[in-house]
Amino acid sequence: MSGSRGPALADPVVVAGRTAPSRLMFGPHETNLGRGRSLTRRHVAYYERRAAGGAGLVVTETASVHPSDWPYERAPLAADCGPGWAAVVDACRPHGALVLAGLGHAGSQGSSAYGQSALWAPSRVPDVVSREMPMEMEDAEIRALRDGFARSAALAVASGADGVEIDAGQHSLLRQFLSGLTNLREDGYGDDRARCLREVLLAAREAVGDGHVLGLRLSCDELAPWAGITPEQAAAVAREAAAAVDYLVVVRGSAMNVSATRPDLHTPPGFNEELCRSVRTAVDGAALVVLQGSVVDPAQAERAVREGSADLVEMTRAQIAEPDLLRLWRDGRAERIRPCVLCNQKCRVRDNRNPIVSCAVEPRSGHETEDPAEAGRDARVLDVLVAGAGPAGLEAARVLALRGHTVELVERGDRLGGGLLRAAAVGGRDRFGRLVAWWEGELRRLGVTVRTGVALTQADLERAAADGRAVVVATGSVTGPRDYGVDEGGRVLDVAELLDGRDLPDGPAVVFDPVGDGVGVGVAESLAASGRPTAIVTQDPVVGTQLALTGDLADANGRLQRAGVTLVRRARPLVVGREVVVEDVLTGVTSSLACGVLVHCGHRLPDESLTAPVVAGDRVAPRTVHEAVLEGRRAALALAGEGR
Amino acid sequence: MTYRHLLSPLRLGPLTLANRLVFSAHLTNYAEDGLPSEQHAAYYAARAAGGAGLVITEEHSTHPTDWPYEKLIHGYRPEAVTGYRLITEAVHAHGVPILAQLNHNGGQASGMYSRTPVWAPSPVPDPLFREVPKAVTVAEIAEIVAGYATVAGHCAQGGFDGVELQCSHSSLVRGFLSPVTNRRTDTYGGPLAHRVRILREIVAAVREAIGPDRVLGVRLCGDELIDGGTTIEEAVEIARMVEAGGGVDYINTSIGVATSTLYMIEASMAVPAGYALYISNAIRRAVRLPVVGVGRIKDPMQAERALAEGHCDLVGVVRGQIADPDFLAKARSGHATDIRSCLSCNQECVGRMGLNRWLGCIENPRAGREAVPLAPPTRRPRRVVVVGGGPAGLQAAATAARRGHLVTLYERHQGTGGQVTAAATVPSRAEFLDVVRNLLAECRRYGVDVRTGAEATAAGLLAEAPDAVVLATGARPQAPHWAGDSPRVVDVRDVLEGRAEPAGDVVVVDDLGFHQATSVAELLADRGCRVHITTAAMVVGQDLGITLDLETFTVRAHAKGITQSTDEVVMAAEADAGGGVVLRILTHTTGAMSERRADWVVCATHQAPEDALWHALRDAPFEVHRAGDCVAPRRAHAAVVEGHRVGERL
Repeated sequence: MSGSRGPALADPVVVAGRTAPSRLMFGPHETNLGRGRSLTRRHVAYYERRAAGGAGLVVTETASVHPSDWPYERAPLAADCGPGWAAVVDACRPHGALVLAGLGHAGSQGSSAYGQSALWAPSRVPDVVSREMPMEMEDAEIRALRDGFARSAALAVASGADGVEIDAGQHSLLRQFLSGLTNLREDGYGDDRARCLREVLLAAREAVGDGHVLGLRLSCDELAPWAGITPEQAAAVAREAAAAVDYLVVVRGSAMNVSATRPDLHTPPGFNEELCRSVRTAVDGAALVVLQGSVVDPAQAERAVREGSADLVEMTRAQIAEPDLLRLWRDGRAERIRPCVLCNQKCRVRDNRNPIVSCAVEPRSGHETEDPAEAGRDARVLDVLVAGAGPAGLEAARVLALRGHTVELVERGDRLGGGLLRAAAVGGRDRFGRLVAWWEGELRRLGVTVRTGVALTQADLERAAADGRAVVVATGSVTGPRDYGVDEGGRVLDVAELLDGRDLPDGPAVVFDPVGDGVGVGVAESLAASGRPTAIVTQDPVVGTQLALTGDLADANGRLQRAGVTLVRRARPLVVGREVVVEDVLTGVTSSLACGVLVHCGHRLPDESLTAPVVAGDRVAPRTVHEAVLEGRRAALALAGEGR
Repeated sequence: MTYRHLLSPLRLGPLTLANRLVFSAHLTNYAEDGLPSEQHAAYYAARAAGGAGLVITEEHSTHPTDWPYEKLIHGYRPEAVTGYRLITEAVHAHGVPILAQLNHNGGQASGMYSRTPVWAPSPVPDPLFREVPKAVTVAEIAEIVAGYATVAGHCAQGGFDGVELQCSHSSLVRGFLSPVTNRRTDTYGGPLAHRVRILREIVAAVREAIGPDRVLGVRLCGDELIDGGTTIEEAVEIARMVEAGGGVDYINTSIGVATSTLYMIEASMAVPAGYALYISNAIRRAVRLPVVGVGRIKDPMQAERALAEGHCDLVGVVRGQIADPDFLAKARSGHATDIRSCLSCNQECVGRMGLNRWLGCIENPRAGREAVPLAPPTRRPRRVVVVGGGPAGLQAAATAARRGHLVTLYERHQGTGGQVTAAATVPSRAEFLDVVRNLLAECRRYGVDVRTGAEATAAGLLAEAPDAVVLATGARPQAPHWAGDSPRVVDVRDVLEGRAEPAGDVVVVDDLGFHQATSVAELLADRGCRVHITTAAMVVGQDLGITLDLETFTVRAHAKGITQSTDEVVMAAEADAGGGVVLRILTHTTGAMSERRADWVVCATHQAPEDALWHALRDAPFEVHRAGDCVAPRRAHAAVVEGHRVGERL
């Protein structure tokens, strides 16, 4: 296909004799929607929604092929997934999507906390993160692994699945066998590190037969060239594997850099395109090749398919944000696609608390069985005034207008976006700005009357109510209190002022970050990048603790250190003057930091200057964009319910 | 020892308790879909069978806005009553009364599970959850109060003998009581009488709901250990007000705030036993109500003494009864030395709670598995040889022998205990020794033939030809790849077992992230060394965070002059002209190389399994099993769990 103009993203594709209605894949990922180790009706609704939106292939959450693998509490176990797979197939098939069962074994990247047994690995190399020493697999365990893949694959197709996808990606025992980082064996599985994968693929093919799909997710670059899988080695593995499989998903990453596979917005979208193209060249048509890696823009996906970088494209997070992505793209309505901004705040759920997969800006994702769809038409048309055009107000206005109500959105600032504008002003996080543009477009399309630069008063709201208008107050937040003193000569600036564009006083900057999310870190990075000596102060033992959830914790600490930011951990400011005195929160030892200005990144308080029976978002309690959108939507649906 | 005070009965409102031992409320993560489970029933029943005077269950949430952790019991759901009946019938079968703890965690929560704003007296974010709560309105306060009454009604329906109101640790009521989190200016905030108001309203509503024939207790925090928080003087005043308000039958006590000073609530062995008794003591002197005292009380002697000295009327022992459900029964029957005493290691109880996992115990492999039937005694005793007297081998032998097998245990050293013995030589870790002391006592009790100083060989075992062999041969230190052949680069075990005596400047390399590095650092600092700990991780001793040892270690390390650095990978060790070592270090976050000189380098690094016998015997004509570090060198819990599992499967 290379050189000629290829198909379109929305074109069908034949895989193992089965036709997928589009070249868009919804890839396997952790959801925590399970119960015990089974798939649930929540899984079914979640996958069905993407199938209905036009996904060509849906790969279900990776299920462990053997009980020795229990990597997270709600990780599916293939033996328990038969009925769940059948239900997913039944739900998705009417929409045309092919359903494949994700199968894997996490090996040394698993957890012994649930199974209470030693982890399996090719060699005794502890995982970088858990530091837990695995047991070295012997012939009996390798046989059990192979049989586990075969049995699980057979169960999947017996349950009606169109096939299976085998995981040799970032989080997998098969990758651990392929990699010189983790396979130090001196037997046949070490001399030939591809042997285990080869045997598994043969066994799986035998189990599913030629009429079903066999896919392989393969880490083609471990980003650890000293011993890890390099793109050159991967090309050879891919070439061989391609003879056995119907498609290959090209991914990157290893246990050394787990965030590299689905990184957040600090990594440019489509980062695997070159790698994918080279693998596709290597396999030379023997198998279809799938592009993965933060692809969130369908135009980029379309180009990759047209220009022959890939045959299909996995856009998982983009379809969590917008289940109808393919349908809208096919219909030429790309501007209506709710953008994934790669924030990883709600979709990355590898966390002991078992958060349900969702989306910062599409809160119904993962909650399809509980939350009503926002579309629909109400019998009685309401006249609604929405005060405040942050994410809560924008979403309330959008949903009300979508349901046919007359909406006026009033914003006291001169632009729409509210807290989103500040989120987008934090260094490295400008993708958040795309959300504002999307809401603006939707409100325009839906005919919402938008007024900016208008400060409503409580009297205005009361007048509106008296006129029979419904009112939603989503006026956001104000700066919160600080619990340290400021001496003469001390300069403290709230981070909101900085993000709003206020100039900073000269001199070294000290960022105080009691929250630990992306704001303090991003601000410190920007300040250091501007050439200013910068320190970041946190009460925690590590900077940016809340970034563990988005996968950016280790990367953020690396970026800060490389930027020369001084990390002041386990400390809190006592007094800000020309120096800031900080105290160790455990030992009580004090020290001083040079300080031209302290940037305070603390919690905020609701802006209670306006009130109404319906309030949403930060106006209730300042939290993240997800809660704002959720409550804005709920407020709209509650009002719409009154109009029904 | 007769435990005269501990074993004396006590009137508690309408109840008479047979003794003074309380299995107080604590999280278990045994709930399923927000409801109490059969495991709950079996867990509490085991402690009732073991003689506890009173059982108080974990908290039952009183309102849907409260959902701080996944496996919280949603007491406000009427279907909880079914599970309550399971629990109360199982406990009552042993003649022991049981109370339910009621709670709303207030601002010490997030909306992650509830998908609603968090409710609190004021919009003060919790230090752990970091979510700004919504300040509740007066109407919402009324809703909260009504929620307590509803759940109290469910508990009465479910057969509980009463309820306890959680007003400490993590609680909306605590939030109202504490000046740090209550910034209200209405009649629920400001002076103490105002801050107590919600508690008085809840007491009245709950008493109304449960009637006069059930017990109502209040658990108060005596000292929040945070700036501006509730202190002992105010706690005493609150207790007085609670008593004066009437309707309450006892006061339970606690210390610390669950989301900021948890390390002082569930203190590890680093904190002295009975450390929180000053709170019950002060309150007991101010009120006539019975008062429960707590604070790492882990043996019946400590409990007896707390009672005899008048610190409290009842003693809360949680971890002691997790480790040994028969705590009281053994004390009563004169077998107190048979109690499998708690280590206060916090590894599998507290440590698993913070990680959203079911509650277990490092030395009681049945904890968390009470609802699963025990493997039955064997009808065909087999000759079993266990090789290795560390925790895996001792546990395998004890379990096998308890089931009736004829067990011989070979230990090549002069004493059993394996690596635990060495680890516990560090003064701050001494209580860890109990795990192997307890296991050895169990082995003796069940008739294991323990032979020390006896090295098992493949030839010898093949000649002996038992029915089954359990290999629990442990692990040996291995020098890291960068160590070269420097005699000044040694393993933690070399130091603890006396083979090396570092002096001068010592660098400890922490690859394991647990007690190995930090305890040897403390030991050497105590011996006069200047100690630095380096790690590739983001924190030295990272996993001490989950056992609540990190805070106390940090303070001690500072006092001992121990310094730390992170994000560093040791690449090479070279001999230094002065006889010491120069470490070449890569800061992996920046790529910078640096050097660090030391007289000695102590490695807390991964070990190699002692698996020679496994390789020699795995095709032997008898069953061969493995357990513990000889499978893969890990922590003591893995050894105990695997030893027990092998013992059950024989």
